[in-house]
Amino acid sequence: MSLIIETRDLVKRYGKFTAVNELSLEVPAGSIYGFVGPNGAGKTTTMRMLTTLTRPTAGQAWVAGHSVTEEPRAVRRAIGYMPDEFGVYDDMRVWEYLDFFAACYDIPENERKRLIDDLLELVDLTHRREDMVDKLSRGMKQRLSLARTLAHDPLVLILDEPASGLDPRARVEIRELLVELAKMGKTIFFSSHILADVAEICTHIGIVEAGEMVIQGSMDDMRAQLTPHREIIVTVRDQETAERVKSLVALMADVLDVLILEPKAGRSRVQINFAGDDDGVAAINQKLSAEGILVMGFTEETKDLESMFMRVTKGIVT
Amino acid sequence: MAEAESTRQMIDVPEEALTPREIRLERAAVVLRWGAIVNGVLVGLLLVAGLLGGLRVFPDLFTNLQGLLLGRAVLAGDASLAVVIFLTLVDISLLLVLMVGVLAREIWTLPAIWLVAAVNGLAAALLGFLPALITIAAAAGCWVVIMRDMSAFRVNPVMLKELRGRMRGVRAFIVLTIYLGLMSAFTILLYLVFTTSTIQATGSSAVGAIGRVLFGGLVGIELLLIIFIAPAFTAGAITGERERQTYDLLRTTLLASPSFVIGKLESALGFILLLLFSAIPLQSIAFLFGGVTELELVLSFVILAVTAVTLGTVGIFFSAITPRTLSASVRSYTVALAVTFGIPIILSFPLFNAFVSAASGFGSGVSSSPLVETIFIYLGLILVSLNPVATSLVSQQLLAEKQAIGLWTVTLTSDGSTIPLVSPWISFSVFYLVIATILIVLAVREMRKVEA
Repeated sequence: MSLIIETRDLVKRYGKFTAVNELSLEVPAGSIYGFVGPNGAGKTTTMRMLTTLTRPTAGQAWVAGHSVTEEPRAVRRAIGYMPDEFGVYDDMRVWEYLDFFAACYDIPENERKRLIDDLLELVDLTHRREDMVDKLSRGMKQRLSLARTLAHDPLVLILDEPASGLDPRARVEIRELLVELAKMGKTIFFSSHILADVAEICTHIGIVEAGEMVIQGSMDDMRAQLTPHREIIVTVRDQETAERVKSLVALMADVLDVLILEPKAGRSRVQINFAGDDDGVAAINQKLSAEGILVMGFTEETKDLESMFMRVTKGIVT
Repeated sequence: MAEAESTRQMIDVPEEALTPREIRLERAAVVLRWGAIVNGVLVGLLLVAGLLGGLRVFPDLFTNLQGLLLGRAVLAGDASLAVVIFLTLVDISLLLVLMVGVLAREIWTLPAIWLVAAVNGLAAALLGFLPALITIAAAAGCWVVIMRDMSAFRVNPVMLKELRGRMRGVRAFIVLTIYLGLMSAFTILLYLVFTTSTIQATGSSAVGAIGRVLFGGLVGIELLLIIFIAPAFTAGAITGERERQTYDLLRTTLLASPSFVIGKLESALGFILLLLFSAIPLQSIAFLFGGVTELELVLSFVILAVTAVTLGTVGIFFSAITPRTLSASVRSYTVALAVTFGIPIILSFPLFNAFVSAASGFGSGVSSSPLVETIFIYLGLILVSLNPVATSLVSQQLLAEKQAIGLWTVTLTSDGSTIPLVSPWISFSVFYLVIATILIVLAVREMRKVEA
């Protein structure tokens, strides 16, 4: 798979403060790449370097095969950038806003009208064509911003926190729009500090923390890498039974570890870390009933991105 | 964040490989720049020639030069040298303006190139102005280069955007109405005050004098207006975009920095020109009373427009180098006020007195030697040319007393010889336009820098 954004040991220092530290990004063409990290992790700085707004202190970065330091204009041609703040021009209509940016991208006047109509239709703002930009709701502004980034038909969209500050409905709309754009063949590189946004639509993910890349890869790989085992919680009546469960299960195949958890609501719980498949899970259940243990609950915990995130960033968050 | 922004370091970035269109535009600009440079060298040579001629090193130098450079004009040798120098300076500023236009891909550049060539052709045909050929050659060379890609030239998107916003709704209409209302009120007031006082004093009203006072008063008010409006319109050009957080958006587009700067300047000037044009009917009232010529109207308009252009670029320049609109405005106003009100104070020194007395024909205060006297008079001209108010007054005085619209001469008191001079409005325009071009170039350079 070819990479459309690649950075190698990218460093950005402001005086003594290191905002981005030897960050190496790999964004495959056609992917939806979620760039995740807490506020202040260096996401925006990285994006500003990729969009040629800031020069890296050290390291290299390429977008669509062009170096951001040596061929900034070629990079600008290839990207559509949406910063985290929405730049509003007062005294401007929706279509004028798009017309202005299309003109800035050198699109001839006779093509602009059709382009604006198409873009407005894509982001579902056709009915607000004549409205003033600063009268739009935040969600609509964000969609208009997205339409703007598409004016010159770029290869990559670099979106800084596209869903931040939006109400749930607007957030869903933006998400659907991103999926649609990915279907149109755009690579989407977007940042977020909210994992739920990322988990649902991303094909790839990179987790950044204190200016360093913690982990990156495709979502499937990440899941496999971070959750090598299942977590089964067995709930029984008392501590004694729990001990029995532990001794029984510990000898079974593919069981990595058995822990007795603190009792909750008067019931004892046993956590089984299990590396086997579904049949194995069923076998544990069967074995327990066969031994006459009264199982009150048998659940498999699903590992979500949030816990992945917590695990990965443990100890680094300051 | 605010602190971080103001202490942000900016650095120059190496030029990247240009697209074929950019290479073509760059080449066209280089042709124009060389035209300006060759003209500049010519001016330098002519100044040396003037010095040598003035010192009588080569007795026939002036006559020979006139035959060569300005064959058809009926002028004295030394006068024609001055004419040639100033026509060449005008050509330099025109070429620089064209160069900026080409780089910013302005559509008006296309007719402007033809206009400059045509005017120079006319000067060559009527006056035998030989250096016109340099400018014509530069214009033609530029045209040959850009001819292959006419679609590169377009209406400036920034100007379009700014004017759409500025002229929207009733605001522009109200501003214009208030402006004209105040101007009318001022005119009436001036008329009443003047007629009452003169009639009381002399018992009769000099009709021509009323016209002159009304005209002068209105031009003065307009000048004041420009001094306050031009920097205000442009001082927020770049800082305003930064504060609205749209600057980064623009920088990631393909919009070139010259286009941005010129677009902002054009939109500001567009509105100021609208104000100036809309006041012309008021100024024309002066014609009812007489005492004012059409030539004075044109002259005042040129001086006002040139002042607006230059103060506008001052605003843009400070907007590019300061992080906040407020500080950019403060600095622009400081410069604008220093130029318009500060210089007249300096002018009250002997230099100016020597010059003004020479201009008004009362004989110079300094009469030690012809050379010193000449230097003082030229320095005086330069000082007057730095300031729009002094320029207007002296130009008008020359027009009224010597009927000199372009060229005039002064007879030295020390040895009775004459030295040639131009009317200050010409040197003022050339001087201000050159400064404006330099400021635009500096602002563009500042914009091209990238955050380090």
